[in-house]
Amino acid sequence: MPRMVAGETRDPTTELRRGVLEHCVLAVMRKKESYAYEIVRVLSDAGGLVTSEGTIYPLLSRLRRDGLVDTTWRESETGPPRRYYRLTSQGQRSLDAFVEDWARFRDAVDAVLAPRG
Amino acid sequence: MVLAADRRSELMAEVRDHVDAALTEAGRSDEATVRNVLERLGPPEDIVAAEGGQPGTTLDAAPAPSGRAAGTVAGWGAVEVTAVALLCLAWPALFLPFGFFLFVAFGIIGLVLVWASRVWTTRRKLTATICVVALYALLIMLTTPVSMKCSTGGGPPEPCTPGGPSPIVNPTQ
Repeated sequence: MPRMVAGETRDPTTELRRGVLEHCVLAVMRKKESYAYEIVRVLSDAGGLVTSEGTIYPLLSRLRRDGLVDTTWRESETGPPRRYYRLTSQGQRSLDAFVEDWARFRDAVDAVLAPRG
Repeated sequence: MVLAADRRSELMAEVRDHVDAALTEAGRSDEATVRNVLERLGPPEDIVAAEGGQPGTTLDAAPAPSGRAAGTVAGWGAVEVTAVALLCLAWPALFLPFGFFLFVAFGIIGLVLVWASRVWTTRRKLTATICVVALYALLIMLTTPVSMKCSTGGGPPEPCTPGGPSPIVNPTQ
């Protein structure tokens, strides 16, 4: 259940974002391994999918624990070594399943929201 | 909620690297830029809350059986409770047969458990260790040398009284 703060009105967009964020993170690393800050950038640039950038770290940590992503440390020219994330086969399967589910869900909501008549 | 020491330092490092990367990208680190970066980072409570938001969350960075998290509540799991119990019971144990042995054994096992804890921070472990060692040292200092000093040649150790050992206990004098 999403955590609710007293007085916070339920913004449906916030809940939608929470629901899809994990798989969007998986999708970003689908083509090539990425580091956390890069993932945050891509998601923000796509259209404000991340409001609190710091929450990406607990999410990535959980994805690691659940075996959906693997990580490698790599040197970087511009500072300390970075941790790069990539999908495991389990992560790939989870993403593929979500892509299908999302397409169905999106079409269903669009159909209902579409003006009638 | 309390994060395990390992995960807490890992998360802090991740956030620090994030801020550094953001400032590098911005090309400057004046106060306004830093504030913007921190604002985008989001409230710390949200980040910490996101750590515990999933069922089967283990509070450690290393993979662990998911059943572990269910047993730890705000820094007190089975390991921690047992450690503290042993350390507290070490004192009354002195009055049992083999009391001193139990006292030392409980103390050692208790401290081993304290350091084996994956939930307590190093600082808490150090504090506990120092307290335990200090109390043990105090107890040993208070009992052993006092009785040893007052034993006459060949007599058993006994507590000191002013003026030396009681003449009643040493009929040979």
